Amino acid sequence: MESIVALATPPGVSGLAVIRISGDDAIEIASKHYLGKSDLLEVPTHTIHYGKFVNNNQTIDTVTFNIFRAPNSYTGENVVEISCHGGIIIYKEIIKAIINSGARQAKAGEFTQRAFLNGKMDLLQAEAVADLIHSVSVISEQVSARQLQGNITKKIKQFKSELIEIAGLLELELDFSDEEIEFIKLSQVKEKIQKLIDYLANIINSYTSSVILQNGYSVAIIGFPNSGKSTLFNKLLSKDRAIVSEIAGTTRDYLEEFIYLNNIPIKIIDTAGMRETTDIIEIEGIKLVNSVIKQSNLILVLNDASISLHNSDNLIQSLKQDYPKHEIVVLQNKIDKIEKEDKEEITSSRGEEQLFISAKTNYNISKLLDLIDQKATSSITRINDLMVNERQLQLMEQISSDLQNAIESVEMQNTNELIAVDIRAAIRKLGELTGDIYNQEILNQVFSKFCIGK
Amino acid sequence: MEKQFDTIIIGGGHAGIEAATVASKMGASTLLITLSKAAIGRPSCNPSVGGTAKGHLVKEIDALGGAMGVLADNGGIQFKILNSSKGPAVRSPRSQIDKDLYPIVANNFLNNIPNLTIIEAKVWEIVIDNYKVEGVKLFDGTFIAGKSVILTAGTFLNGLMWIGLDSTSGGRFGEQVSDNLSDRLRDYGFKVGRLKTGTPPRLHKDTIDYSKFALHPGDPNPVPFSFRTKSVENKIMCYATNTNEEIHDILREGFSRSALFIGLIEGVGPRYCPSIEDKVDRFRDKNSHKIVLEPEGLNTNSVYLNGFSTSLPKDIQERGIRRIPGLENVEILRFGYAIEYDYFDPYQLKQTLETKLVENLYFAGQINGTSGYEEAAAQGLVAGINAVLKLQNKEPLLLKRNEAYISVLIDDLVNKEFDEPYRLFTSAAEYRLLLRHDNAYYRLSKYGRELGLITDDEFAIFEHQMELIDKGKILFDKTLLKPDQINDYLESINESPIIDSATISTLGKRSNVNIADLLNFLPSKEEFEDILNNEIVLNQLDIEIKYEGYIKRQLKEISYFLENENKLIPENFDYNKVQSLSTEARNKLIKIRPLSLGQASRILGVSATDISILSVYLR
Repeated sequence: MESIVALATPPGVSGLAVIRISGDDAIEIASKHYLGKSDLLEVPTHTIHYGKFVNNNQTIDTVTFNIFRAPNSYTGENVVEISCHGGIIIYKEIIKAIINSGARQAKAGEFTQRAFLNGKMDLLQAEAVADLIHSVSVISEQVSARQLQGNITKKIKQFKSELIEIAGLLELELDFSDEEIEFIKLSQVKEKIQKLIDYLANIINSYTSSVILQNGYSVAIIGFPNSGKSTLFNKLLSKDRAIVSEIAGTTRDYLEEFIYLNNIPIKIIDTAGMRETTDIIEIEGIKLVNSVIKQSNLILVLNDASISLHNSDNLIQSLKQDYPKHEIVVLQNKIDKIEKEDKEEITSSRGEEQLFISAKTNYNISKLLDLIDQKATSSITRINDLMVNERQLQLMEQISSDLQNAIESVEMQNTNELIAVDIRAAIRKLGELTGDIYNQEILNQVFSKFCIGK
Repeated sequence: MEKQFDTIIIGGGHAGIEAATVASKMGASTLLITLSKAAIGRPSCNPSVGGTAKGHLVKEIDALGGAMGVLADNGGIQFKILNSSKGPAVRSPRSQIDKDLYPIVANNFLNNIPNLTIIEAKVWEIVIDNYKVEGVKLFDGTFIAGKSVILTAGTFLNGLMWIGLDSTSGGRFGEQVSDNLSDRLRDYGFKVGRLKTGTPPRLHKDTIDYSKFALHPGDPNPVPFSFRTKSVENKIMCYATNTNEEIHDILREGFSRSALFIGLIEGVGPRYCPSIEDKVDRFRDKNSHKIVLEPEGLNTNSVYLNGFSTSLPKDIQERGIRRIPGLENVEILRFGYAIEYDYFDPYQLKQTLETKLVENLYFAGQINGTSGYEEAAAQGLVAGINAVLKLQNKEPLLLKRNEAYISVLIDDLVNKEFDEPYRLFTSAAEYRLLLRHDNAYYRLSKYGRELGLITDDEFAIFEHQMELIDKGKILFDKTLLKPDQINDYLESINESPIIDSATISTLGKRSNVNIADLLNFLPSKEEFEDILNNEIVLNQLDIEIKYEGYIKRQLKEISYFLENENKLIPENFDYNKVQSLSTEARNKLIKIRPLSLGQASRILGVSATDISILSVYLR
């Protein structure tokens, strides 16, 4: 295939950058730019060659050329990986030179697509690569890596074969209706399908955990200006993000940063768009950060206790109404400014969890971190072998509903051919999940998730 | 006789009859060559037509303008809808036929078709020049030119009949075989395999004690297969009983002297139409199997012992049969036998049943490895239609799996490799609820009409029914029944009463409710008069309303299915250019040459990954 080239490491300034070339002519193209002791055209696979990257007799950088010969490479084709120094100009020059020598810029996910097309991985493994690239936690990396080895495929295939067996027995009875043999009791069918539904429900439930592991546990800080949000945001990140207030409202209306608590990525989101005064405007303000709150797992309402302990009560009420499933913790900030008696008076009278802090003096900040940690940990109910992504979740929910229909059919004492309608639909979808059944949409969806260079 | 025809059909069995019927009716000058006119359409095995999935085929053949429905009605002596206690999708019409009458009916039917010539002769070879059909050469050396040739030779190619360890050459009991034909085709490069099938013993009707059997009658109101037939009647009774362990023990004694068990028969037998010895051997935990006595006709002494197909030695057959209560003193007219015959691996065929190797040569029926009259007839129909369409330079008739059992059968044949005779089942159809025998005309008569096999007048009947069905659906969705109008009826049929008014469509979904009954409770029936007067339409509406939810779900699956079906692969696509295909997939794809990505995905050995790879190349 035509040779493609792209930066394989994240763009920007870094210690090292890796440029990957894949295709029939990858080694020939690379060798045109190599100045060193070896003859790249002759060297064995899986060898590293130190030398200079030259273009038009000019040295661009001192690099290493890593040679992989087909089919023993990531893509299954000839691959050269050039490790250069991480300056933006350097890798851009190198890629430009490679393109001038006959390769073309790779499209997003094209390396992995080639690996898939060359049989180096199945669809689910390719999907796991995409998940791996996007994963932000250590645990999620481990789970994605396991999927890369075909773990999820195995579990779902086992599930599918059980369903095929049920379908087969139901069909046998129809095919041999003359013989009047009962191959399977309908009560047994129901029992078996129910087991599968429960099993699926488990996987589906682990979705929340997966999302947290993949995208992080999201904590949104909500509150009026001057309630101390930015100060708290900086305190939680343990770094000074003074620029926060400068960008706020210019490019987007919130900022996010990751911290790690016990290997769980915590995404702290500072919403900067809240306005105050009348009730109606408050509610408008909530609508602005709607999307942020929806994605978050925990809402921290920051109240300026120095004004009043009830200053944000309207806001809290509307949040509770609009997001009944979200956890809300009220943070009474600037506690250093109020009298001790006032705090104790209020503690028992509030419905939602409440913590007295002072972002400015660090009072109870470590307690707040413990609280977030504890909530994040408990929200990951089970860390499965399985990790579910959006596409898989949708399919599984459809399968669950097909199976539920099948059970209803059994309960209504429908005959086998009607029960089979839903079981067959479920089997087809399970095939899509395992990649046993071809679906162009899945293919496109999986590969569109990649960034260029993977 | 003319020495030049558009289409020549070799073989007058069920496939040959259909091919001859449609080819001549479509305007081609057609020649049917048979070894014996008297044997045209002779049922060599069971004296019945139809049954699970097979009855569907007969209805589809009828909707496309074929012969079998009419023949089974006119040659039929007992009629029944199987699985009537089950849902409409698996109900199937079946009839007992008179084995002497059926060939007479078939001869009369064919003799009335203009453009069709029938001769008795034995074909020496199919004349092929440069991979194109020229005609046929008879045993006496006569050459007859034909633009296309359809081979429907059934079990007559190198047929070998077995009883116990004795074998005789023959295509059917007492009939000669066509031995040179398949050898010549083999020389030409066709791959020939070996299959076997069996038939049960025939008993003398006057030596049976019927009092020891259960009655097995036809339906009280028998319904014909064909819309062309006005009415049919039941003229015979069948009788049923069960085998027992004592009989099984006797049969087991003969296993060591069975050609099948000791491996003398090379052909692989059908798993789905198993011999009694197979059933005894395979279902060891079942100590009883159902058998039915089926008279082979009105004027014959012969009774067919359905369920007792066997090729065990005569002495074992005799002892076993005499242990069946009521058959203690039975006279066996003919012992069961197995027949082994040549078949052509059907991957060598296009979906039109034209061979890939030789242009204008078609194979249809049992020579393609199928079992059953109906499967054979369906192929004869498809081969006949497409042979003529090709001569007329028209697009072939290629139905999809969601349209007809006929296409399920043919698609399975050309894509899948199998090692036993192929028999159609409803389970083979993905979209079973839509492929019902009762809606075959609405699915297919439009094609029959385009081909000129269904007349405009005939089509008008179905068109009118379809209009009424559509009208009914709309009316039923908007017509309300009030609680006081309908609650007495609901309670009388054990359905819970309604509190608010409900539409006929809603009420019609309840399992005990009958649509026609509901309509009677309407204060004004004027709008529904034409529907109420049409039983067929009412029945369709009842089914469509009751199963609406399931049908909708299947339609959703179909739209998914059609996506890949509509992604066509160019006929000359170079699979060698796609390096990343697995070797097995590449070889299969080159061999079968699927028409679409969907068809490719049904080929064993072609994985989803191969399909993804192909789709990238096809973009």
